[in-house]
Amino acid sequence: MKIVVLVKEVPDMESKFKIVGDAKIDESQIAFKMNDFDEYAVEAALQLKEKFGGEVVIVSSGPDRVTKEVRQAFAMGADWGIHVSDPQIDEGDNFVVAGALVKAIESLGGVDLVMTGVQAEDDQAALTGVFVADMLNFSHCTNVVKIEVGADQKSLTINRELEGGLNEVLEMATPAVLTIQSGINQPRYPTLPGIMKAKKKRLDLKKAADLGVGAIGEAGSKTKFHKIFFPVSEHKAEIIQGDAKAAAKTLVDKLRNEAKVI
Amino acid sequence: MARILVIAEQRNGKLSEATLELCKAAKEIASGLGATPAAAVFYKDDSIAKEVANYIPEVFAVVDAKLASYDADLFVQAVKAVVEAQDVKGVLIPHSYDGVDYAGKAALAIGAGIVSNCNKAAVEGGTVVFTRNTYNGKIQEQRSVKTDKFVATFEKGAYDKEAAGGAGSVTAVSVSLTDSRRKIKEVIATMAGSVDISQAKIIVSGGRGTKEKDKYNDVIVNLAKKLGGEYGASRPVVDAGWTDAARQVGQSGKTVVPVLYVAAGISGAIQHVAGMKGSQCIVAINKDPEAPIFNIATYGIVGDLFEVIPAMMEALG
Ligand SMILES: Cc1cc2nc3c(=O)[nH]c(=O)nc-3n(C[C@H](O)[C@H](O)[C@H](O)COP(=O)(O)OP(=O)(O)OC[C@H]3O[C@@H](n4cnc5c(N)ncnc54)[C@H](O)[C@@H]3O)c2cc1C
Ligand SMILES: Cc1cc2nc3c(=O)[nH]c(=O)nc-3n(C[C@H](O)[C@H](O)[C@H](O)COP(=O)(O)OP(=O)(O)OC[C@H]3O[C@@H](n4cnc5c(N)ncnc54)[C@H](O)[C@@H]3O)c2cc1C
Repeated sequence: MKIVVLVKEVPDMESKFKIVGDAKIDESQIAFKMNDFDEYAVEAALQLKEKFGGEVVIVSSGPDRVTKEVRQAFAMGADWGIHVSDPQIDEGDNFVVAGALVKAIESLGGVDLVMTGVQAEDDQAALTGVFVADMLNFSHCTNVVKIEVGADQKSLTINRELEGGLNEVLEMATPAVLTIQSGINQPRYPTLPGIMKAKKKRLDLKKAADLGVGAIGEAGSKTKFHKIFFPVSEHKAEIIQGDAKAAAKTLVDKLRNEAKVI
Repeated sequence: MARILVIAEQRNGKLSEATLELCKAAKEIASGLGATPAAAVFYKDDSIAKEVANYIPEVFAVVDAKLASYDADLFVQAVKAVVEAQDVKGVLIPHSYDGVDYAGKAALAIGAGIVSNCNKAAVEGGTVVFTRNTYNGKIQEQRSVKTDKFVATFEKGAYDKEAAGGAGSVTAVSVSLTDSRRKIKEVIATMAGSVDISQAKIIVSGGRGTKEKDKYNDVIVNLAKKLGGEYGASRPVVDAGWTDAARQVGQSGKTVVPVLYVAAGISGAIQHVAGMKGSQCIVAINKDPEAPIFNIATYGIVGDLFEVIPAMMEALG
């Protein structure tokens, strides 16, 4: 099977974020990593390759630093990748980014499955997979927690997660886009030999023009960014001060005598 | 007059609460734009359309046996048909499992820009400006669309539920639906487990901050026992196999309403909070002072849970 995994780089969410000019986060102090959900997608793709053969291709759009996450996927076992690198694409919205990713996928030809994460931890739009499916005219399923591929390598039985622990079991056919939910598997850690091999794996660099991406930047976007800001909460917890010992003691006292819940 | 159209949602014939919240949102947005609120219901009969008419003045019903259960391909065709037949300015969809599955496709089908996962909408000079959570709830973003029409998905709880009492009209819209590319075989329950934490009076939950299975057991399970309560977990803890799925709290797990809920090493993502925000007293223990969990907690301790929890055990005697 020919499987593409879309991998996005995101900031570590435990970072201390600073906002610059109401518009951007200050990236200088931030550590980046692979979007959690995408690790599950990479693992799901590798498991299918191990069963059916074929190749796993990583596609990622973003600045130069995203090659670190692509190489991490290589170290896990992915075969090669495309780095879509164009500030004009990064400046676009989901519609622009999805359009660029689609061009990269189309350039491969014969793709059976495209896997994405359910959502990016930073922008949290949960749109890219569905957009990509529609633009490729592939069928799709979101929030996938189980994948079974038939012996014909075309028929899929998929579990789609629903509310309250329910799963919808569906049948569909390749080519398809699946957005992968966390917990579907246990993503493997890259091994040392894996990391060594990853350094030599092929990573093609593509600009918007190379891929023939028409809609780019702000002009290609269907949405307009206004601003970002820290949430103002009407409610804030009463923060109990002191070192761990003192704070714990005060807390227990408050739970007993103020809230009266223990 | 242009319409702000809610796409209703049901599961097993039961209308979702999110639909009623969107009826409220549609009313607000419509009044800001000089438009009218309306809803569309796609189902095997008109029972749900009639129910929705209690909440909104105008309901468009696409009735077809194929619509007994939600389906992405069919919903997109139905949205397109209603939008083309009526004067629709904006489409509101719940940011739910079904909603995220087709909203993006529906937006492309009607040539509209989409803003997803919103928690607020305000009309500013004729433009609807949407506010949405980003960075796991640490940063809010505002965005609008540049297209004539818009699609927006809203997170659960963004608006209060609209109250019943109206007597809206129900109009049938006919669509010749194709066959879907997906076929539903069955719906199964996956969280069956021996324990039911939803009835517990005290719950101590641990998150990814508990680091590993043994440590989770050591701090979370022990504190729960000491307090005579149950232990729970955020999703990453269950994903990693540190505890059973039956103990997961949140959107895809259990909804709990204990007297005391202790969240240790849990950031407070909206999907977790959805399952525990009704708790009477919430204690948050987190080393990150900016963790969103502090925005809903009663008491908070900013610190290392591996120091705070043993100290609590000691203080409890
Ligand atoms: C450096 C940078 C600058 C940006 N500047 C702007 C801006 O100026 N204006 C604006 O409107 N938006 C901007 N964005 C946001 C950008 O439009 C979104 O990040 C993008 O559309 C993806 O949406 P999302 O992150 O919500 O992904 P979701 O739809 O939540 O992601 C779901 C899945 O899609 C895949 N995916 C998403 N993005 C990528 C990617 N880049 N490469 C590979 N796979 C991906 C992953 O598998 C991911 O799990 C910027 C993003 C970055 C990284
Ligand atoms: C469709 C969907 C459904 C979902 N359903 C659920 C659900 O039902 N339940 C759920 O929980 N999640 C759910 N999620 C996942 C959710 O989005 C978050 O990813 C998840 O809740 C994060 O779990 P966490 O808070 O344990 O981890 P993180 O967000 O990684 O937070 C860990 C926290 O621990 C703190 N920490 C680390 N070390 C320490 C220490 N030593 N002492 C104190 N604090 C420490 C950190 O500061 C951080 O705030 C769902 C997601 C999606 C997309």
